Amino acid sequence: MITDRELMHRVAQKDEQAFAELANRYSARLLTMAWRLLGNRADAEDAVQRALLRLYLSAGSYRSEWAVSTWLYRVATNVCVDEIRRRRSRSSLQKAVHEEAGDGQALLFPWGGGAVRGPAQNLDLQRALARVPLEARILLALRYVDGMSYQELARVRGISVNTVKSQLARGKMILRAGLTDRRRRPRTAVRIAKGAGE
Amino acid sequence: MTTRTSLTHDELENSLIVHFRPVPAAADLVRRTIDGLRDDFRPERFAERVQVEATERGISMLSPGGQARPPASQASKRLAAKAREELFEYLEGRRSFFSVPVDFSGMPAFQRKVLERTYRIPFGETRSYARIAQEIGNPRAVRAVGTALGRNPIPIIVPCHRVLRSDGGLGGYGLGLPLKIRLLGLERSTPVLEGCATTRIVCRVGCPDAMRMREDSRVVFASVDDARSVGYRPCKVCRPSDATLS
Repeated sequence: MITDRELMHRVAQKDEQAFAELANRYSARLLTMAWRLLGNRADAEDAVQRALLRLYLSAGSYRSEWAVSTWLYRVATNVCVDEIRRRRSRSSLQKAVHEEAGDGQALLFPWGGGAVRGPAQNLDLQRALARVPLEARILLALRYVDGMSYQELARVRGISVNTVKSQLARGKMILRAGLTDRRRRPRTAVRIAKGAGE
Repeated sequence: MTTRTSLTHDELENSLIVHFRPVPAAADLVRRTIDGLRDDFRPERFAERVQVEATERGISMLSPGGQARPPASQASKRLAAKAREELFEYLEGRRSFFSVPVDFSGMPAFQRKVLERTYRIPFGETRSYARIAQEIGNPRAVRAVGTALGRNPIPIIVPCHRVLRSDGGLGGYGLGLPLKIRLLGLERSTPVLEGCATTRIVCRVGCPDAMRMREDSRVVFASVDDARSVGYRPCKVCRPSDATLS
């Protein structure tokens, strides 16, 4: 099998076949990462397309000391992060409108997660993730979509390995707290229901 | 009686693994992307044709093609040259703001109000004609706003392409709708805040300091606070924290 690096060098010479091959290798993982960060499939597909285009256009500046996957995830997270920035500034405008319309979705899924469909959706986890600060959420997504090492994560986001570790730990702590909250509530409800029955 | 409510390490790990399990991409996603590669717009060609006029106070005219009057002074010549350079970077997706000043003084009062308001619409965002009319205190003058924007003498730098119809329709554009669509798309794919992985400084895209950044050092951030949370500091030249507040 041709390695990623060889493909990347061919992409730099505007070889569309090599580009298609490389894009196919990563499209599912990139899509999942973008989907989990952006909350819906349409925006995720759009982001993946933009990331792949950027990869094609900037292939000339690719340097082989980078693993292609690391380079590609850097490009893709950059696209997703900017999309989230755009949403934040948009949502500050639209917030008033949403609240007026009683759109509770916007509160539960501040990242537009209301439209999430797909296999293995876990709404509790989704809600808990929405409370994790963005940089930590990105690291979680990269780590669990592609099993990246701390070093790779540090490279993708341009931060130190120690920051990666502390961000991941903090992210998981927030997740655990959020999920524990969720668990407690239904049980209390059951107990009350039982109590009422007796 | 206490019930066990906290999540074990393994339980959290498992639910994260399941949540982030890759979903297959649509079969035609890559093909659609490849179709997108066949795009014949060349920003450098557009930028070459553009004529720019400036007064000593700022840019007063920008037009693709045609003839520009010769600059009145060295200062205005310098401003025009800078505007062309920034325009080129903007069209290449390397700039999210213009630092050259704009001279609104030669315009009729109403148009000036409309364009000054439009000038403040942030990069990558849009407003409706109705909203601009409202903000300049003339809520019924929606059509007049459209006309004033249509005659914008400094398109792109005064971003009249960021003004759309309230129903989301594109409205019109003095330089032709295809260019309006192109500019909106360009702003969607150009980031605004970029950090340098080696210096750990976060800049606005287009900052002269950030221009020297190596391609593989660029990391995009969604806000200055996010960048700070992972150890970056804002640039002292382009001051990204001030800019994102507008």
